[in-house]
Amino acid sequence: MDQTKQEEEYGYDLFPERNKGKFKKGSIAESLFTFNHKCQVMLQFAMETSKYERCVLSSARSTVFKDRHFSCEECDGTVSGGFDAASSQIVLCQNNIHQQSHMNRVVTHELIHAFDHCRAHVDWFNNFRHLACSEIRAANLSGDCSFSNEVARFNFGLKQHHQECVRGRALRSILAVRKISRQEAEKIVDEVFDTCFNDHAPFGRIPHGNKDARFAYRDYKNRDRYYANL
Amino acid sequence: MDRLEAAAWKPPRACDDYLTEFKHCKSLWNRFQQYYTYGTSPSCQQWKEDYYTCREWEKHQSTEAKELLQGSEQKRVAEQRKFTPVWELRQNPPRDWHMPLNQEKPQDS
Repeated sequence: MDQTKQEEEYGYDLFPERNKGKFKKGSIAESLFTFNHKCQVMLQFAMETSKYERCVLSSARSTVFKDRHFSCEECDGTVSGGFDAASSQIVLCQNNIHQQSHMNRVVTHELIHAFDHCRAHVDWFNNFRHLACSEIRAANLSGDCSFSNEVARFNFGLKQHHQECVRGRALRSILAVRKISRQEAEKIVDEVFDTCFNDHAPFGRIPHGNKDARFAYRDYKNRDRYYANL
Repeated sequence: MDRLEAAAWKPPRACDDYLTEFKHCKSLWNRFQQYYTYGTSPSCQQWKEDYYTCREWEKHQSTEAKELLQGSEQKRVAEQRKFTPVWELRQNPPRDWHMPLNQEKPQDS
């Protein structure tokens, strides 16, 4: 069937609730049998307190509304979230996100995709270079590849390990949602890596922690004065 | 016109921002992060110089200080833009960003 083929080709099979939910939205069954409520609460907390998100949200030219642009759903496998360009929604996998810090990170990661979608003509479905670029940026800037997160995954590396991690995670993300060979994906990531790794919008730097994120936000608030006096 | 411009100009950042950036740059945390990301040590000297230049400008409003600061910041901006983007930037955000979602087919309760 055409729709199934398309679902697999674009990774929609990882997000089975995108087209048909198991439980009716807002039903008691949904509350009882899923982590939907917990997901909503963590999302609210993340949007209110995370310094990373504050930066991305305020600099995106499109306003982001929690109820319209976020959706907590059950997902397949170990995927934590996704950005659905077709519906302009960020999907959060309520069955795979159980800690606030993880939620913060996933939301930041997906917001970077949303940010790219809003500021550029990103061809998510047909242009692998665009997809790779956004994945590189999201892995780079969301804290996915922080030293502590890598150590928690038992990836012990030091010198320039951040870049290795970004490359690896971008590759994994692409392979998870598109049917291409590993070699092809690696080639594409290599092609766009330098450009995309150095694109730090909207932070202006790679935010390694809250202080970096605070300084990035300060720069954002100061942008009018900055560019007027350059 | 020039005099008006000169009167209106002020450093791109508050002087204290240069100082805090310098301190943050030199911190152990940041030095570790720089090594973890780039395999090098950070170069923080420019922040310190910019701080002193900024203070100098505050005291004397000298053209030299102004030009030094502008030069330094322009260099920073150029560093950020050193790459060719992979995609074309939009003039306006996507039109369907706020479009309502297709409602699910009504389920018989």
